[in-house]
Amino acid sequence: MADRDMAWFCAYTPVELIRAAGFRPVRRFGDPHGLEAADTYLHPALCPYVRACLAQALDQAPPHHAMFVNCCDGMRRLHDAWKALFPESFAFLMDLPRRTDERGREALGREFARLLGALEEFAGRRVTPDDLLRACREERELQLAYRRTVEGLWGAARVAAAQAAQEDRAPAVEAADHVSTGVPVLLSGNLLNPRGLLSILERAGARVVWADLCNGDRPFTAEAPVTGADRPRILRELAARYLERHPCARMADGERRYRLLVERARECGALGVIYASLKFCDSYLYDFPRLRERLRREEIPVLRLESDYADGHAGQLLTRVEAFLEMIAG
Amino acid sequence: MSAERENGLLEAIKERYLEKLSPEIFRSRLFWKTVEGLARSPLNRPQWKADRVSLSHFIRSTRDAYLGKAPVVWCNLLVPSELVHGLGCLPFYPEMAAAVVASAGLAPRFIDRAVEEEFSSDACSYHRCLLGCAVEGFLPRPDLLLSVNYPCDSAVLSFAFLSELYGVPHLVVDVPLPGREEDLPLLAGQLEEAASEMARLSGRDREGMLRGLAESIELSNRALSYLRRVEEMRKRDDCTLDGKDAMGNVSVLAGCMGSEAGVEFYRLLAEELRERGCRGPRSLRLMWMHLKPWYAQSIFQSLERHGARLVCEEYTHATWEPMDPGDPFVSLAAKLESHFLVGPAERRAAHLARLAEEYRVDGAIHFNHWGCRQSCGGAPLVKRALQEKGVPVLIIDGDCVDQREYQEGQISTRLEAFLESLR
Repeated sequence: MADRDMAWFCAYTPVELIRAAGFRPVRRFGDPHGLEAADTYLHPALCPYVRACLAQALDQAPPHHAMFVNCCDGMRRLHDAWKALFPESFAFLMDLPRRTDERGREALGREFARLLGALEEFAGRRVTPDDLLRACREERELQLAYRRTVEGLWGAARVAAAQAAQEDRAPAVEAADHVSTGVPVLLSGNLLNPRGLLSILERAGARVVWADLCNGDRPFTAEAPVTGADRPRILRELAARYLERHPCARMADGERRYRLLVERARECGALGVIYASLKFCDSYLYDFPRLRERLRREEIPVLRLESDYADGHAGQLLTRVEAFLEMIAG
Repeated sequence: MSAERENGLLEAIKERYLEKLSPEIFRSRLFWKTVEGLARSPLNRPQWKADRVSLSHFIRSTRDAYLGKAPVVWCNLLVPSELVHGLGCLPFYPEMAAAVVASAGLAPRFIDRAVEEEFSSDACSYHRCLLGCAVEGFLPRPDLLLSVNYPCDSAVLSFAFLSELYGVPHLVVDVPLPGREEDLPLLAGQLEEAASEMARLSGRDREGMLRGLAESIELSNRALSYLRRVEEMRKRDDCTLDGKDAMGNVSVLAGCMGSEAGVEFYRLLAEELRERGCRGPRSLRLMWMHLKPWYAQSIFQSLERHGARLVCEEYTHATWEPMDPGDPFVSLAAKLESHFLVGPAERRAAHLARLAEEYRVDGAIHFNHWGCRQSCGGAPLVKRALQEKGVPVLIIDGDCVDQREYQEGQISTRLEAFLESLR
């Protein structure tokens, strides 16, 4: 890793603050095929994304500067292991409230201030309100660029573009990845490997028109601009912006999440929802029965799949996906 | 209800009611009269006088919750019970109910029911069990669900489902990470919000709310002073209270603080520990981490055969200081924040290293409960922290609630090899 690179893992990471402090925020997606390397430090029944990220870091040269979000047990454990393994590197665990109301916004704004203080101390420089506003503008431009890039892109190509934006690199869309036909579906879940399960969906004839994933469309859904005049106001507005996005299933406002999903499915013309999540992710394991019930009431068909992130055996799911697509396409 | 020491009683209840077990039975006054009668009868032979107090408290409180005698508030493990007792509501801890169901050997049926509802078999079996019980209508209906974002994610998530199932509100309390003392007022504000909701349910005005909380905090402080005595006495060589029995006291620590029963329980336990004294020659001293399989005794029989004793266990120790009855929300916020399961695993590791040192343990056993990202997830770090202090650690994979996942032979072989290595 380059000295100025700051690894991040959760979509609630305020990359604007990392950028404003002079670092380059780079989301890590880990090595989906080398999870076992993390077994000594993380139990095999933990989120495979978290294990893949640690496995990849173990294989990389220092420094391992990283920032973590206290969003779930898996991320907490990643932070624990990371801190113990790479004590020479910067590591900050940022709190994330579950509530998205006024109390949640206040708590997150304060936490942003804390993170910014830690970054300033590590960088040895003071971040001005202008630095913050510039970073917010840059991030917003990146988000708009993502939206322009993915117009007319579906499925794996769309998620690959989202990952590229999160990795702070230009998306490389290959014609072979570009599926333009198929049964329109909305994909919902936590985080999926674009070369794994997503390619299986496409082989089965699905056209994923919206990827409600944290490495898909979800982080690009906030609209509120950040315009505050001073540091506290900027941080409060930024906190509100993060809480305004389509929520992850770990947040307390499940009702809003379901409403937005249904609206999005209708807007995109999706004929059904494919719910796919990584194994051992409690936020999504407990979410499914509620979502299924909500979709049933809205008469939106749903298929549930599970991923181990590498998806070496996902071909076995092909028949199930094909049957589902056939059913919803009528 | 503490899970195991009522085994004789549970067996009796099972014998009489198992065949006709139905949600309606728990709402029948006759059933509760019978249970109370059995608890008072010679069938109930608690090892400690204090156990009679906690059993009687939990039977009464659970009966009242089923019969709707006061507003029922479902809580996860870290919700401070003072908050609920002080507002005239009945706290109900469904995770503990799952342990009771497991100790009665009834968990598989309810776990399977949750899986039918499409809760994954990779999720914690405490929660699958309680969700199955709830879906089948076996648990007392809540008026409010209150969860804290620790010790694990499961409670907040399963309570969200239950909130829809029962059509009642779910309040989530976000406890800030350690080292953020300036955020305690924010936490206190959330507790006050929860208290106001409970006061509304029980028909108390603000004055009544504060008076009730002052009383419950005073009771909690008294219980805490006796608990400290218990902890001191347990540090003696071969104190007569074994960890396999003391582990069930997690239910008292979580659910009785702020009630008369909490004071009486720890007072009697301290008194009896003093009277009984110690048990003679020093044996192999072990610490138990996470919780035990509630349905299995063999693991503890194996320890006894090898002359090993559990002198302390992770979940039954106080981590907080006496509270100010005049400032209930800030006091309870500080209590919550002091818990070793709030925040990174290094805090938990430090708590366990301290216990290992104070209780002079020769080794420690970590029971990896399947699906518990909190405990299994932190086990490697805990193991390293203890090994650095010279404490050997055995990690056993298993399931606290689902007896079908208990690999008796494998566990026994590993346990015996570990005990041999400590000699």
